[in-house]
Amino acid sequence: MSMSTPGPERVPSSVKVGKTTGQGKPPTGKTTGNTTASDRQGAKSGKKGRKPVSPVKVSGGRNWGPIAVAAAVVLIAAGIIGYGVYASVQGSRDWTDKLADISGVVNYRAQKNPKIDDRTHKDGAQTYVTSPPVGGAHNQSWQNCMGDVYTEPIANEHAVHSLEHGAVWITYKQGLAADQVDVLKKKVEGKDYMLMSPYAGLDKNVSVQVWGYQLKTDDVNDDRIDDFISAARIKASMEPGAACSSGNTTTGPITAGAGNGTGMDSAGS
Amino acid sequence: MVQDVASPDAAPASGEAPALRRFGYAAVAVLLVGILLGTAIGLVVPRFRTPADDSVEAGFFRDMSSHHAQAVEMAMVAHAASGTPGIVTLAADIATTQQAQIGYMQAWLRDWDLSPTSDQRPMAWMPDSAGSVVNGLMPGMATPEQLASLRRATGKQLDVQFLTLMRAHHLGGIHMAQEAEKLSDDKDVDWLADSMVTAQQGEIQLIDDLLKQAQSG
Repeated sequence: MSMSTPGPERVPSSVKVGKTTGQGKPPTGKTTGNTTASDRQGAKSGKKGRKPVSPVKVSGGRNWGPIAVAAAVVLIAAGIIGYGVYASVQGSRDWTDKLADISGVVNYRAQKNPKIDDRTHKDGAQTYVTSPPVGGAHNQSWQNCMGDVYTEPIANEHAVHSLEHGAVWITYKQGLAADQVDVLKKKVEGKDYMLMSPYAGLDKNVSVQVWGYQLKTDDVNDDRIDDFISAARIKASMEPGAACSSGNTTTGPITAGAGNGTGMDSAGS
Repeated sequence: MVQDVASPDAAPASGEAPALRRFGYAAVAVLLVGILLGTAIGLVVPRFRTPADDSVEAGFFRDMSSHHAQAVEMAMVAHAASGTPGIVTLAADIATTQQAQIGYMQAWLRDWDLSPTSDQRPMAWMPDSAGSVVNGLMPGMATPEQLASLRRATGKQLDVQFLTLMRAHHLGGIHMAQEAEKLSDDKDVDWLADSMVTAQQGEIQLIDDLLKQAQSG
C-alpha cells in the first residue's frame, strides 16, 4: 500500500524507495520501516532464487485475510438485514395479533355478541354487558378523550362512544391510592385518544379498554397496560378519522328519565 | 477444499492449476453469497424505501398528529363559544386544516405499515428535545388546566385565552415542523411540514391582530 503512494506526498521519513525524489533524506529513512517495505518489494518482484518459497506462504496469508473480512462483512450484512426484516415484520404486525399476545386481554369482538357490537346512537341511560363496558349502543355525544383525566366517574353512554372513536379508556377502582392514580395519569396526560376515570364497583384495581377488548389488573405498574395502549390506541377505532375533541367534558351519570341526550350535548359543546 | 489445501505440498511445481481452481471456488462462493444477499435485499427493500418505525418521519407524524389534535380541540371550543366573527372564522380554518393534515399524516403512517401511535416519549425523533416536553406535553401545548379554563371562559376572556393559547401552540408546531424539514429527506414529508410552517406563520400575524382588537375592545 505504501508503495503506491507517490514519494513526494509522504512524510520524508517514510520515503523508503531508493529513487531520487529530491525530498529530504532517503538514506536516513532506512532505519526501521524500511526492512519490511523492501521485503514486500522483494516478495512481489521475486528476483532471487530462494524467493519462490515465500510466494506460496504469502498467497496463503492473502487468501485467509480477505476470506475473514468477507465472512465478517457477510455476517454483519446478514445481521443488519435480518434485524431489518425482523423489526419491520414486528412493526407492521396487526394490532389484534399484538393484543392477542398480551396475556389476560379479553377479546369481546370474537364473541359476536350483538349487545356489545351494537353501534347505534340512543338517548338516555343504557345497560351494558360488561363492567366497564367495551361496546354497545351509546349516546350521540362522546366523552372528550384528548388525554382527559376525569376525577369523578363518567357516564358509560359517553365513554363507549369514545371507544368507538378509537380511544383507550383507563378506569380504576374508586378510592385507589393517589400515588397509584398518578402512575395511570402519566399514561394519559397530553395524549389524544386517551381518557381516564374512576369506576364504581370495579372488581380489579385497573381496567383498560378499547372497543371490544379489555384488560384487567391489580397492578398499576403492570407492563401489559402499556402494551395494550401501544397496540390498540387509535387502531381500535370503529370510525377511522373520528376525533376525540369537542366531546362531553362533564362527569356523573346520564340523568335518568329526562335522558334525551340534548342536555348532555349542550353541556359538551 | 481438501484438494485445495493439499495441492501446494503435493505439486509445488504446478502452482497455477490449484490457484485457478481456488479462484473458481471463490467465484462460486461469491456468486452464491451474492444471490442470497440479493434475494434478502429484494425482500426487504420495499420496507427500506418507506420510513422505519423509529424514523424522524414516523415520529414527526405521530407527534404532530397529537399536537394538531389539540389545536382542533381548542379551535372547536372557540368556534362554538366565541361571538367574534373573525375568531369564529379563524377557528374554523384551523380546525378543518389541521384535521385534514392529521388525515394525511395518519394515512401515510398506514401506507408505511406503521402504528399511528408510539410508546416512545414525545419528541424522541428530535435531537436535544428532552427538555421541551413538560408533563408529557409537546412544545406549545396547553395544559389540562388551561383547556378547562378555556372551556369555562366566555366573551372577551374566551377570545383572549383562545388567541393566546393558539399563538403559543402555533409557535411550538412551527418549531417541530422546521426541525422535521431539516432532519427529513422525504419530499412529501418536507412538503407537508413546509405548508404547516408557512400557514401557521401567516396565522400568527392574524392572531396578533385579533389579539390586539380583543384586548382593546
